[in-house]
Amino acid sequence: MCDDHCALNVYMEEGRVVDIDGYKEHPWNRGRLCSKGRAAVDLVYHPDRLWKPLKRTASGWQEIPLEQALDEIAERLRGIQKRYGERSIGVWKGEAVGFAQQEEMARRFVHAIGSPNYFSNDSMCFNGRWIGYTVVHGAWSVPDYEHTRLVLLWGANPPHAHPNMTQMIMRARRRGAKLVVLDPRLSAVARQADLHAPVRPGTDGALVWGLIRALLERGAYDRELVENHSVGFPALEAYARAFTPEVVERETGVPAALLGEIAAALAKAAPAVVNYVGNGLEHHENGINNIRAIAYLDTLLGALDREGGNRLAEGFPTRRLTLYQERPLTELGPIGAERFPVLYGLRQECHTMTAMDTILSDRPYPLKALLLTGANPAMTNPNTEKVRRALAALELLVVRDLFLTETAQLAHYVLPAASFLERSELHVHAMFQVVTLTKKPLSFPGVQDEYQFWHDLARRLGAGEFFPWKDEEELTRWLLEPTGVTLEQLAGHPEGYPYRSIRYEKWREAPLHTPSGKVEFTSQYLKGLGYPELAEYKPPSYQSSPDPAYPFVLVTGARKLLFYHSRFQNIERFARTGRNPEMEMHPADAARLALADGERVRVRSRVGAIELPVTVTAPNEILPGTLQITHGYRQANVNLLTHDDVFDPISGFPLMKAIQVQVESLRRPATPPDTTP
Amino acid sequence: MKAVIIGNSAASLAAAEAFRRYDRASELTLLAAEAGPAYSRVLLPYYLRGSLPRERLFIRGDADYRCLDARTAFGRAVTRVDDRRRTLTLADGEELAWDRLLVASGTRPVLPRVRDLEGPGIHTLWTLQDADRLLPELLPGRRAVFIGSGFVSLQAAWAACVRGLRVTVLEALPRVLPKVLDQTASALLEARMRGHGADVRCAVGIERVERPAGRTPLRVVLSCEDPNVDADLVVVGAGVRPNLSFLEGTAVRVEAGGIPVDERMRTGVLGIYAAGDAALGPSVFGEAHAAHALWPTAVEQGRVAGANMAGHERVYAGSLNMNVAEMYGLTVASMGRFLENGDPAEEAVVEHDPRTGRYVKLLFRGGVPLGGVVLGTPEDLAVLAALRPRIRAGRKARLVPAEPFGGLHRTLALKASRR
Amino acid sequence: MRIVTMDPEICVACRNCEYACAFKQAGTFERRDSNIRVSFYPQERVCIPGTCVHCEEPWCLEVCPAAAIGRNPETGAVEIDPDRCAGCKMCMLACPYGAIRFDAKARVARKCDLCGGDPQCVKFCISGALQFVEAEEAFAFRRTSLDAKLTDLLGLAKGGRR
Repeated sequence: MCDDHCALNVYMEEGRVVDIDGYKEHPWNRGRLCSKGRAAVDLVYHPDRLWKPLKRTASGWQEIPLEQALDEIAERLRGIQKRYGERSIGVWKGEAVGFAQQEEMARRFVHAIGSPNYFSNDSMCFNGRWIGYTVVHGAWSVPDYEHTRLVLLWGANPPHAHPNMTQMIMRARRRGAKLVVLDPRLSAVARQADLHAPVRPGTDGALVWGLIRALLERGAYDRELVENHSVGFPALEAYARAFTPEVVERETGVPAALLGEIAAALAKAAPAVVNYVGNGLEHHENGINNIRAIAYLDTLLGALDREGGNRLAEGFPTRRLTLYQERPLTELGPIGAERFPVLYGLRQECHTMTAMDTILSDRPYPLKALLLTGANPAMTNPNTEKVRRALAALELLVVRDLFLTETAQLAHYVLPAASFLERSELHVHAMFQVVTLTKKPLSFPGVQDEYQFWHDLARRLGAGEFFPWKDEEELTRWLLEPTGVTLEQLAGHPEGYPYRSIRYEKWREAPLHTPSGKVEFTSQYLKGLGYPELAEYKPPSYQSSPDPAYPFVLVTGARKLLFYHSRFQNIERFARTGRNPEMEMHPADAARLALADGERVRVRSRVGAIELPVTVTAPNEILPGTLQITHGYRQANVNLLTHDDVFDPISGFPLMKAIQVQVESLRRPATPPDTTP
Repeated sequence: MKAVIIGNSAASLAAAEAFRRYDRASELTLLAAEAGPAYSRVLLPYYLRGSLPRERLFIRGDADYRCLDARTAFGRAVTRVDDRRRTLTLADGEELAWDRLLVASGTRPVLPRVRDLEGPGIHTLWTLQDADRLLPELLPGRRAVFIGSGFVSLQAAWAACVRGLRVTVLEALPRVLPKVLDQTASALLEARMRGHGADVRCAVGIERVERPAGRTPLRVVLSCEDPNVDADLVVVGAGVRPNLSFLEGTAVRVEAGGIPVDERMRTGVLGIYAAGDAALGPSVFGEAHAAHALWPTAVEQGRVAGANMAGHERVYAGSLNMNVAEMYGLTVASMGRFLENGDPAEEAVVEHDPRTGRYVKLLFRGGVPLGGVVLGTPEDLAVLAALRPRIRAGRKARLVPAEPFGGLHRTLALKASRR
Repeated sequence: MRIVTMDPEICVACRNCEYACAFKQAGTFERRDSNIRVSFYPQERVCIPGTCVHCEEPWCLEVCPAAAIGRNPETGAVEIDPDRCAGCKMCMLACPYGAIRFDAKARVARKCDLCGGDPQCVKFCISGALQFVEAEEAFAFRRTSLDAKLTDLLGLAKGGRR
């Protein structure tokens, strides 16, 4: 449904879902649920939902039987692989399908048929933090809200993005914990922050280094962790010196006094400090290093794997479905692996934006077919215009989805996919170290779940041996075997089965999963790949080399409660709430451009332009000079403006949250470029 | 102990319920000249408009009186009260003894001194019977004249408009709804009414009513040079008088507007109380005897009277005038004091949108809200509602935000906090 | 009886409660169909959820000239009977909390009825600002909150780190 994994009660009447609410016993959401969960009722029975495979013909879409669709797809895939090589096919798994066993099925499939090209939405989500933290700590820690005294949210807005964290944070506040929010906008969660620091987009790293300097200056850091369990501290200490409060203020816009307050709060609450980083820090040219710096901060605060800090969760040891041991296929040159070796090396993730260029240029080699499941890159990848051109240029595009999305409209075959209520899968909630098996209340004839699809296609392509299980349930059993927990046991624990009790300070007994076994302020791994070993801060280009023709900075992607990326836009009841879409603008900027609230404007970047109404915010709701547009709207798709040619060098994540743009009213002809920020 | 209540409307019913909350043993009797069942006068305009079926006008049934263990005698008028022997006499001669008596007999409409303002085609609008007689006359195309622009009159005029009659409103004072709106709001409402095709004439005097032969049953002749108005029916809503003739010969003080009572609804004669339209009780602004002929006031006074009659001391904090109705596409409401009187400490907060005709005005003195006027949407009522407790208490309004105050509320909160 | 309590120190004005209420009342997600309303004042950073508190002596019930407002014997909720309501709006003028709204389509006043005892707004409040508790203990969370603040201050006064 979304990436928050809430436990639900699904009410059925005569085999039909009539209502959904939250399941009280599960520790994750404790019975609370957002309206999107309720809307699943609308989603499953939506009149536009696909029930039969569609084939593109000269005269339009034609419904064909499932077996025929699979046969034809397999035949065409075989043909393409024969002509262009096995690696000319890619599989793209979208967010709608999840991140556990469903993801691994997709990865397994593409290797099983001889191609290393697995793509996913994680080319632009999650991996930024995973990589940033893992390079320093060996893993991405989970926040221990239940015991914390201070929460810092970096570019994260739980009420709209991960609703459950909201109640966890609020419970902590009731017990006396303080909340600090760092965000160029007054997001929903910022409304309750004890301190809201509006940071200029992409400059968070400078702020972190300023905090590091402040802590080091007063000697307020965890010496035991630093001296016994880290490498590279002298380099860190030396680098931090330059980030005086004045320098930080100039760079980030955060006043020196506020920096001092945050530093004092950190020192006081340490080690029970949670730093939670959102996607807001990933979509920048310097994202990884900004995130690494926060991992440094966790370490210095002593919050690493401590109660009330950021805990290193212990995973649930299911079998792995991926074939990276048996068939690594790295010699085939996974797309993007050379350009972004860390992305591939640490996550085995190919680079979707590079794929677009590959498709259009046949360089380094032809990529001619893509199988997408639950993904809508024609709306959510940057530079929509190029994405569409690239997808349209494929010899074979197969899309599995619930609806005929913008991406599906470009496909040769569209297959009906199973919604989250039509699958039974394992959910691991690392924060509580429980695993839950979801029930499968619904199934519809002709609508395959993920396993059925990959299984049937693999068999047709001679890779059936890699999908030997009869069905999803049998597969889940196989995955569970090494854990010692059975399917039946899980079924008896709808509130989550605790697979391991929570322990802290594990770094005392065992080394971290870093090459040195310690916290790596300096990373030899990165150095070996040609990157600076320390997480050096690089100002975003709109600050270091601003283009006067594009005087505004556009942030994209702020979440809305009722929509999820490009999903749920077709739920009519949602679409009628509020102003959708809109561009948020500071009142001083609006006044300068003589724009009234609700007026339509054209926003233009180097890449493209869109038109939409402007929403004039209150003066403290967004930074002057900064604009925000949420993605996912067909009527005004902001990814027509975003770049697919500016990346974080380590993760390959595209620049989507600090784009230089220009704004003009539609009432009047374009005014000469205004160079005042 | 024998408790008797004269009346069967807002004040009486509230008094009966309050009495029984504290005294379940004594005898309780309700008498009324009008036949039952009890109905809501406030709802009569909705009935006329056609938006409420007749049966929904009734607000009490036999079961309710049984629950209260109250004897009833409706349709039987009280002709005399004897305050020394402590009895009363009904029209058919029956005598009843009382230890506590509540006079809540309400008012009746009074016709202004206009020659020949009587006979067929001339209507008042006060009782259900009046409404039953008027309703069949409200036929499309007919011409109706409404004398008086009080709350009831204008609502009836709106009902006539809605039913397709050609409406004329005649008001003696310079503006409509003079007791409910300020000058600006009156002007806006008049414009609105004209926009709906009503002929609104203020500051007119009426000389007489003629009955010309032929197609025009009635002609209202106006003084001065104003053109006369032809009509098929005339509805008079020009004032009321309390029903208190049965108190003649008693020591109870009766004034033109009603019986003055203290903050316990006592009339000054031991054992006799008064509440509702027939009473003049304390107002929240410190007037000892205000004429607030309003349903909420009647309810509040009835509750106070009933409690005191049962021996439970209860003091009335004072009535606060409040009115609301929907007419001519607007929610029209007011509360408290909203007319400036030149005091320099007074401050008016106004929101006026000429495009939509929305007008909201609040009057403060020294940070204390006095009252307000609304010509707008139902949501705007919340502003007045939130002020109500503070107007009553004379407390400064440092309002806690609650929707849907929106822009006006913002102004209030900011203004109040500067004091 | 149990009532819905609201904590402005926890509320983030996400309006999930409004969506949940509107959905229950009218099958929409539109704010005007919701009985609970959240106000947000950006410059003051104040979020205030507001709904009917089902007064012991309800102003609305007492003032209704159509006898359309009564108390539900099971839940204790003050409820408007839409079949009796004439839409005169006296209740709206009486409620000091502005908790009554007007349904312009049905032309009746509407207010919170505690969803018959299982209030949707509480279930869908993702921050926990809304709770459904016995009236006697309704604002106990303020004690906890105050305790935490006091502990903080006292700890400081004693010169120690917490």
